[in-house]
Amino acid sequence: MNQPRILIFACKWCGFIGADAAGKKRISLPSRFRVIPMECASLVETDAILRALAGGIDGIAVLGCHIGGCRYNNANHTAIKRLELLQDLLDTTGIGSSRLLLSFGTAHEDYQFEEIIKNFFDELTLLPPLDPWL
Amino acid sequence: MLEKTKNIARQILEEKKASAVFGLMRNEWNIIQPHLFEDPAGLANLVLEPKWLLAKLAMRILRSSPENYKLAVICRGCDERALIELIKRNQIEKENLLTIGIACSQEQAAICLCDRPYPEKLDAGEKVSGVDPFQDERVRKFLIGNDKERMKRWADMLKRCIKCYGCRNSCPICICEPCKLEDDVWVQRGVVPAETITFHLIRAFHLSDTCVACGACQEACPVNIPLLYLQLGMRKTLREKYGYEAGLDPETKSPVLSSAFEKPDTDREFPDWINSLREEDES
Amino acid sequence: MANISVFLCKCFGEIDNTINFDFLREELSKDPSVVLISIVDSLCLETDIEKTVSQIRESNSDKVLIAACSTLSRGNLVIESLIKEGVERHKIGLVDIREGCAWIHGDNPEDASKKAKDLINMGIAALQHKDMSDDMSVTVHPNALIIGAGPAGLAAAMSLARTGFKVNLLERSKVPGGMLKLISRCYPDNDDASNKLGPYLREVENNPLITFYPQSKITSVEGDTGNFTVHFSFQEKDSFIQAGVIIVATGAKIFFPTGLYGYGEIKNVINQMEFERQSLNGSLETKKPVFIQCVGARNRERPYCSTICCPISLKNASRIAEDIPGASVFILHRGIMTPGNTLEKYYRDTLSSGVQFIRFEEEQPPRIIGSDYVEAVEVYDAITGITRKIETDLVVLSTPLVPNNDNVQLAEMLDIEVDRYGFFSEIYPMHPLETKTDGIFICGSARWPVSSDHSILQGKAAAMKAVSYLRQSKIAASTLSRVPGLKSGHARVVPESCTGCGNCVAACPFDACHIEKLEGRYISIVNMMKCKACGSCVSVCPNGTMQIPEHNYRMVGEMIKMAF
Ligand code: SF4
Ligand code: SF4
Ligand code: SF4
Ligand code: SF4
Ligand code: SF4
Ligand code: SF4
Repeated sequence: MNQPRILIFACKWCGFIGADAAGKKRISLPSRFRVIPMECASLVETDAILRALAGGIDGIAVLGCHIGGCRYNNANHTAIKRLELLQDLLDTTGIGSSRLLLSFGTAHEDYQFEEIIKNFFDELTLLPPLDPWL
Repeated sequence: MLEKTKNIARQILEEKKASAVFGLMRNEWNIIQPHLFEDPAGLANLVLEPKWLLAKLAMRILRSSPENYKLAVICRGCDERALIELIKRNQIEKENLLTIGIACSQEQAAICLCDRPYPEKLDAGEKVSGVDPFQDERVRKFLIGNDKERMKRWADMLKRCIKCYGCRNSCPICICEPCKLEDDVWVQRGVVPAETITFHLIRAFHLSDTCVACGACQEACPVNIPLLYLQLGMRKTLREKYGYEAGLDPETKSPVLSSAFEKPDTDREFPDWINSLREEDES
Repeated sequence: MANISVFLCKCFGEIDNTINFDFLREELSKDPSVVLISIVDSLCLETDIEKTVSQIRESNSDKVLIAACSTLSRGNLVIESLIKEGVERHKIGLVDIREGCAWIHGDNPEDASKKAKDLINMGIAALQHKDMSDDMSVTVHPNALIIGAGPAGLAAAMSLARTGFKVNLLERSKVPGGMLKLISRCYPDNDDASNKLGPYLREVENNPLITFYPQSKITSVEGDTGNFTVHFSFQEKDSFIQAGVIIVATGAKIFFPTGLYGYGEIKNVINQMEFERQSLNGSLETKKPVFIQCVGARNRERPYCSTICCPISLKNASRIAEDIPGASVFILHRGIMTPGNTLEKYYRDTLSSGVQFIRFEEEQPPRIIGSDYVEAVEVYDAITGITRKIETDLVVLSTPLVPNNDNVQLAEMLDIEVDRYGFFSEIYPMHPLETKTDGIFICGSARWPVSSDHSILQGKAAAMKAVSYLRQSKIAASTLSRVPGLKSGHARVVPESCTGCGNCVAACPFDACHIEKLEGRYISIVNMMKCKACGSCVSVCPNGTMQIPEHNYRMVGEMIKMAF
């Protein structure tokens, strides 16, 4: 089976720093993920996530800062609530909320980023393909 | 109920509380259509059935009228909720709107899968209790099972879509111009059936916290896709997690727009709504 | 479609050892919008930058894409050096193919090369749609408004005035000094409070740059960073001041523990403030005082530690123990809080002065014995497990500082935040003393209970932060960023497509947008002086009316399409 494809929206104050640190440490990672740095997790549009799923991407990760640690006056709280609601829609339709990984405050360090990416790859490999939707 | 509604409407017109009453009329060819009653005499032809959502039309009428034009709308529960959402979203001036709320019958509620078949401001008719959509046979049959089965069901269903935009056009809350569904960035243009994930889920999610479960989208769909089912889970989550329901009062903002954390909850295995389907799953 | 020139940086082998640049060149040449592909040794070299700039000038390209290291490494420096050479910021794109590709996929050069190609394509797609935010600037009123003339406010006023800025100092009461007026000595140096206050009071009196407004109260605030208009009542007359910055130094208030340990009913149960008053006017008479800590603090209602009450008790207890021969002094506590080098020493000194410490638990508080006069205090010693009866002639309750009653009101006027207890709060722990609104600072106990020394320190720090605003004659919205470097932009509304739904207004964490009625319909307006470009508004706008031009949805959408 093909390796899953992952798209990552990484807050530039947190997840992106983790991704960058993993790079600086030259941690070896599976290659089929792409990172789009964002100003804040709250800038991630749900439509973009759906667009990505429709475009054949298997999993989306949104990496933001921990609760209470947002540079933008808790904007990430709003994002979490919204994205959790999107997970509900994904569950309703059988796409499954596990395709949308929400990680807040857990990808700040290189090894955390590594772990998240690797686990997400493993998890996605187990999921049925999205084909019927395409 | 009809007589009572007529009386209220007449009173409103006679006392000049509103410039017109907006409701349904049986015309001389026996066809029912929305009508602006400006003259109390015309109210003889007022009817209340069938279900016909007037919120969006009312909004358009108010928009194209002079500032001090007041409209009284005869509305069912869902219609009232839609009007309230439109007030919340600055589409209707609160002062320019009066409602004459009428209750729906038990049968209607069952058809609509409606959990609130009455307006908050009830003027005519008796409240009947709502139905829990998750206890409904049709919903259970459609949403039960594992992801794979559900996905299959939705995929088969959504393949029927002819991309007529009826769902969006009929939805009282879908008021954007331009709309993202017509933007190539989000939904490929000229592709039929519509790209399923983007077209349907973008629309569904835009209404996540504003959907009043009126079912207009579903009723407008020429190929009978149960579009309301898309909203049910999110509506249930909003109610259970945040105690929020769209369209109940114009002051309460959606919890998804605020950073206040009522209950931090990121550990989720099952969607909350799935619990109500559980028993059957196990038996 | 804009013409794009692409520069691929080898980073002296760090990148091209893994990624196949010939493959990249070949793939990129298929893209009609790419008019120039240039491979450079290292964009860190000045010579390579010069070469790059001249190549850009010679080519007919509109925009420049750099594929090199991450923005967090030297990528940003490369961008800055191109900007210095005259390339516009929004016409430069940077793709990270080192940290984000070569270095993490070193074991798989083939996949790494493919990924690099995709990343560059994403970069091109984004660059095609990248736009630039509008900007605005305001003229700065070169003076400061300080609310509160306690130690924090006074210190801020003095620092600002000595730096040469005009200061308006508002005070609720008749005289400056705040809580320091009410106490005799300060910890940890045991200096007289009046000595500590002296220089500041003289400064307020003598420095012509400081205008003192006693008995004044703020009624409303308008305007933004650099240009606030503050209306206030001054000795019962309405007045207003225009100021470039505002420093909030309103302090806190003392908690009166009515009903606890007989306070308010029994004559010889007092709080620390009363103790200070009596020692100031010389009426203090005690040989056997018992101090009880954490009265009304660190409980369910007020779970916080007010940080100043332990040192205050140490100060007052050791003073009695040292000054009055034969005195017996007890401190009943729930753990003495004395962090830092000076305070811990203070604690040890108090121990050696003969003050006795007994620890009790929250569930078993000390008991007062006596109904109109306390003769003894009974306490269960949590460490030895023995209940002890201590004879006393004075019970002193250590109570926390609590927020002023009108904090919430003032915060609303100023558009800043209060924490869950009602103290003013910072926007983010990494930006101390700064608030939600740029140009408004908080310091002293208005922010959190602190000692007079710390109040003074924070006042001075706030003043220096304020100077960085005041010394500019004009402030551009784009420079109002709390982090080095520019803000990523400002949200922008397309008025034609805005439905006025108000989602953006509800979601904006900085109250930077509002709905206005224009030509019969409602639309959202963004205040660039407040917008921090977080994008909360963007993601809740149903139809993409609200966008950040430097990171608009078209860019994201096209990047997603090119991602694999
Ligand atoms: S959705 Fe509810 S309120 Fe609306 S028509 Fe149906 S039953 Fe009545
Ligand atoms: S999405 Fe459907 S059910 Fe919900 S408000 Fe719109 S039309 Fe009514
Ligand atoms: S689908 Fe979304 S963008 Fe389109 S009209 Fe409805 S809410 Fe607006
Ligand atoms: S109304 Fe039905 S057929 Fe028409 S676009 Fe919507 S889902 Fe498709
Ligand atoms: S980008 Fe952020 S700060 Fe700016 S208007 Fe939007 S939500 Fe407010
Ligand atoms: S969310 Fe979008 S459409 Fe709604 S008011 Fe804001 S900018 Fe306008």
